[in-house]
Amino acid sequence: MEEVDVVGEVCPRPALIVRRRLDDLDPGDELVVTGDFPPAKENLQRTCEKHGCDVQVLDDTDERFRLQIRVLEDWPP
Amino acid sequence: MSDQLTEYAELHGCSCKVGQREVEDLLATAGADEPTPELLLGVGEDAAARQLDGETVLVQTLDYFTPVVDDPFEFGRIAACNAASDAFATGATANLSCLVVLGVPQGLTDVSASILSGMTAMLTGMDGVVAGGHTIHNPWPLAGGAVTATVHPDDLLSMSEATPGDNLYLTKPLGTQPATGALRVQESEFAETVGNQTDRPIDHIGADAIEWMTTPNTKAAVVAREHASAATDVTGFGLAGQARTLAERANVGIELTDAPVIEGTPELSALFGYGLEDGESAETSGGLLVSVPTSETTAFEESLRAEGVFHSRVGHVTDGTGVDTTTLSLEPVSD
Repeated sequence: MEEVDVVGEVCPRPALIVRRRLDDLDPGDELVVTGDFPPAKENLQRTCEKHGCDVQVLDDTDERFRLQIRVLEDWPP
Repeated sequence: MSDQLTEYAELHGCSCKVGQREVEDLLATAGADEPTPELLLGVGEDAAARQLDGETVLVQTLDYFTPVVDDPFEFGRIAACNAASDAFATGATANLSCLVVLGVPQGLTDVSASILSGMTAMLTGMDGVVAGGHTIHNPWPLAGGAVTATVHPDDLLSMSEATPGDNLYLTKPLGTQPATGALRVQESEFAETVGNQTDRPIDHIGADAIEWMTTPNTKAAVVAREHASAATDVTGFGLAGQARTLAERANVGIELTDAPVIEGTPELSALFGYGLEDGESAETSGGLLVSVPTSETTAFEESLRAEGVFHSRVGHVTDGTGVDTTTLSLEPVSD
C-alpha cells in the first residue's frame, strides 16, 4: 500500500500532491493519505469520490486525519 | 521572510470563516443567541440594525479576513468591498463609514500602508470614508473593518422575508476560491498540472476573480431594496451554504438550478475538490443573493440591466425545507 504525508500543506496543495500520486497507480491500488489541515480532508474526499476513487476515513481527530483511497476502474477522470 | 502575502496564512479570504454549525454552537453555548427586541436585525443576520427615528435605521457589521491575493493594495480593496457588502445586503448604502481592522505579522509592517491605501480607495469609490481603525501584530495578516451605514426603515432588507414562489438572483458569478487557489500555485511545481486543467490562462481567471471581488454590491443593493422580499450576500459558506441560511431564517425551501461561474473555475474546482459544482465552494466578496417576488422580477431585471449590474437567476424559493442542488448546472461567465 502506498502512503503520502501532506501534514503542513494547505489547500490546494494537498489535492495536487495526492492527485500526482494517484496518477501513478492502477485500478485496485490503494493510497493512504495523512494530513492535518481540516479543509483538505473534505476537499480530498470530495474530489476523489467524484473522480473514480473510493475513500475510507481511517482516522479523524483534531490533530490528524488519515484517508484510505482506493483507485477504481474509471480512474483517471 | 516571504514576499507572498498569502503564504503567511493557512486559510485565505472568506474560507477562513468558522463553519456555520460551529458558530451556532458558539452562540448557544455563550448565550448570545437570545432575541434582541431593541434591534430590527440582530445575531444571525448579515448585519445588525437599530431604528434611530422614523426616517433612519443604523446598520452595523464587522468583517475581516486573511489575504486572498498577494498584492497588498488589491487585498485592501477586496477586504473593504467585502466588509461593506454585509451592510449592502440589508439595503443600507448611505452614510457609509468603516473603522479599519488590520493585523500584520512582525517584519511585514511595510505592507500595512498598501493594504490601507487599497481599503481607502475602495471605500472612497463606494462614497464611504475610513473613520479610524485599529492595527495589531498578528501571525496571519488580517484586513477588514467595522462598517456602519444607514437606510430608511421601509427599505431595510433581511433574510427572513423570502417567500415561496420568489425567484432567486445572484449578482456576481461564483468561483473566487478555485481562481485564487490556482494563483497561489501557478509558480509552483504544480504549475503544469493546474495550467492544463483549463483552456483559459490562470492569470486571466485570477484577474476576473479580482475584478469581481472588487465590484461593490452598492447598485445591486439599491435595486434590491426596491423590488426584493429578502437578500443576503454570498461569502465563506458558498452559494449553497448561504442559501441554507436564507432558507432557515425564512422557514422556506430553496431549489438552486443555475449558477453563473467565472469561466475556467469549474475545472479548477474539480482538481482542488472545492465543490463549486454543488455550490459549496467558499466565495470571497461575493454577490448579493436576492429573493424577488414573481410580480417584481421583470422590473428587477430591467433596473439591474439599466444600472449595468451583472445578474443571473439561480433558482427559486419553495414551501419545503433546506436547499436542493440536485439539478444545479453551472453557466460559465467571462468578461
